[in-house]
Amino acid sequence: MRVLVIEDDAGLRAQLVENLKDAGNVVDAAADGDEGVYFGREFEYDAAVVDLGLPKRDGISVIKALRGLGRSLPILILTARAHWQDKVVGLEAGADDYLTKPFHMEELRARLNALMRRAAGHASPVITVGAFALDTARKEARVGDAAVELTAFEYRVLEYLVINAARVVSKTELTDHLYEQDFDRDSNVIEVFIGRLRRKLDPDGDLNPIRTVRGQGYRFSPEESG
Amino acid sequence: MAQTSRIGLRARLLLTSTLVLGLGLGLTGWVLDRSFTAGVVAGAQEQLKLLIYSLLGAAEEDGTSLRFPASLLDPRLEQPESGLYASVSDAHGTVIWQSRSLQFGNVASQQLAKTPSNLKLVPGSFEFRETDGYFEMFYRVIWEANGDQLFTFHAVAEQTPFRSAIASFRRTLLLGMAAVVVALMGAQVLAVAWGLRPVGVMAARVRAVEAGHRERMGDDYPPELSGLARNIDRFIEHEISSRDRYRTAMDDLAHSLKTPLAVFRNALSSGHAEDEKLLRDQLDRMETTVAHQLSRAMAARPVVLAGWTAPAPLTERLIKALRTAYIAKDVTAEHHIPADLVLRCDERDLMEMLGNLLENAFKYCRSKVVIGAEGGSTVRLTIDDDGPGVPEHQRVQVLARGARGDTVESGHGIGLAVVAELASSYRGGLTIGESPLGGARVTLELPGNTS
Repeated sequence: MRVLVIEDDAGLRAQLVENLKDAGNVVDAAADGDEGVYFGREFEYDAAVVDLGLPKRDGISVIKALRGLGRSLPILILTARAHWQDKVVGLEAGADDYLTKPFHMEELRARLNALMRRAAGHASPVITVGAFALDTARKEARVGDAAVELTAFEYRVLEYLVINAARVVSKTELTDHLYEQDFDRDSNVIEVFIGRLRRKLDPDGDLNPIRTVRGQGYRFSPEESG
Repeated sequence: MAQTSRIGLRARLLLTSTLVLGLGLGLTGWVLDRSFTAGVVAGAQEQLKLLIYSLLGAAEEDGTSLRFPASLLDPRLEQPESGLYASVSDAHGTVIWQSRSLQFGNVASQQLAKTPSNLKLVPGSFEFRETDGYFEMFYRVIWEANGDQLFTFHAVAEQTPFRSAIASFRRTLLLGMAAVVVALMGAQVLAVAWGLRPVGVMAARVRAVEAGHRERMGDDYPPELSGLARNIDRFIEHEISSRDRYRTAMDDLAHSLKTPLAVFRNALSSGHAEDEKLLRDQLDRMETTVAHQLSRAMAARPVVLAGWTAPAPLTERLIKALRTAYIAKDVTAEHHIPADLVLRCDERDLMEMLGNLLENAFKYCRSKVVIGAEGGSTVRLTIDDDGPGVPEHQRVQVLARGARGDTVESGHGIGLAVVAELASSYRGGLTIGESPLGGARVTLELPGNTS
């Protein structure tokens, strides 16, 4: 998942970036409101963490600007002042949830995951498609009753495909949302990971969970098993 | 406005009363003078008419003319230059008789005997004229007994005695008026000084309170000022109590932060890695303390004159916002607050209180939150949920006002204690009970419409 962090405090920003990266996300960080809006305009994100007290352009104005650009990504606001006025104005401006500083990183990750999952239309942390179940809270994949051993990157590819199972995901989109900006963007690497995932999820080759849509990309759409 | 408000109260009162006094007395003087003069002139007319009547009565027929007895009723007619004259002329304007006071007079008085040519008088009627220095009365009559002869009777009085009466009246009037003005102005100055004395006393006491020589404004004021004095006293009380609260909060904060800091220092110098759990606990404690004390400090400011706020639209905004934040939980939230209900509370504070209470309700409910309201001199807002509720033995503890930060559990405890603190600063209150929905009912009481 690709997450945008807009936070002016360098210490907290570094912690947020590190933590969200550890959780398997691609993270861009902006130190002020203007930079945040620039990132939001130039790239597509799956979620944003926005501090309300930002220099140059406050958080409320950033949220309004992002919504004004037609961005429907879920936004989590951070606020040091625990005033309800701020929370309500933030939510009214288009934010989806709030956290009051100081907060626990686990709480932030859980809220962010829930937001991204809901944005894709999944209410529960466990997403089930056919015989496949993906536990986004515990980062586990199961086929039937058996757990599937996946590497961190394999899981991220699978998670993105499962969360967006309703549509076709192009290779470029996968690269954009799963790789750092400066990463060598070789689409062959994606093909290799898809191949590995197919073998791990469907060793017998009768469920065919990840389909290739010619000229467009991939879609997670397994055969309905009895 | 800024310009006019610079004029002092004393000056305003004195200026207006002087203006009114000047206008009133001027008008009175003018009316008195007018009516006195009119009375004097009417008196002169009456006197001249009477003279003509007495001449008519004394006239005797003498062929085609009239004859008058040698001595007349009024001795002034007999005396030359006496100031009272009379004459009678016939239809041709020829003077057939004139009083002795005219006969030996100067040329000007000789002129008086003649009937002016512009006189157009119907027989049987009077005409009165004010000429240069004289009052003149004419009467025309047709003497029927002797071939219907026409005669004009003419009586003249000098104005001088009348004018001098008027002048003397005016002198007396002016003197009297001046005395009245002096007396009234003096009374006015005294009234203003007496009337404004309490204001001066009040200002002096405010200065004394500022300087620390006094603690209260006192209550010995006229009813118009006692409300203001009460409000000032209330301000002073709030100032003192918020200073006390501030000091207590600082003491609490120092106490409850220094202990964990000591633990930190010791743990760091010991260098044991297994102390991490301990440090984490202490850190949590400090965090809770900071959050709690900051919220208390915010609540601990005096609220004396709050505006009016309608809770209905505020509640709607909060419900909408919380629905967004709690979208994962399928909560049915509704409120029955009348749209026209208002209560005495700052909007931000009310949002703070309702926000905390509604968030708790959203957090702990199973699926239903209902907000109700009861108006009156005390507005009662109830927040019901269908969650697990708060056990009876915890209810008091959860609300404990001024509870020390390190004894309050994090989570809903802090929120409710802050609401209780805020409500009490508005002389309201917060209670927890059981809801008909099965969960907790939190009741927030705030001052409402006093009328």
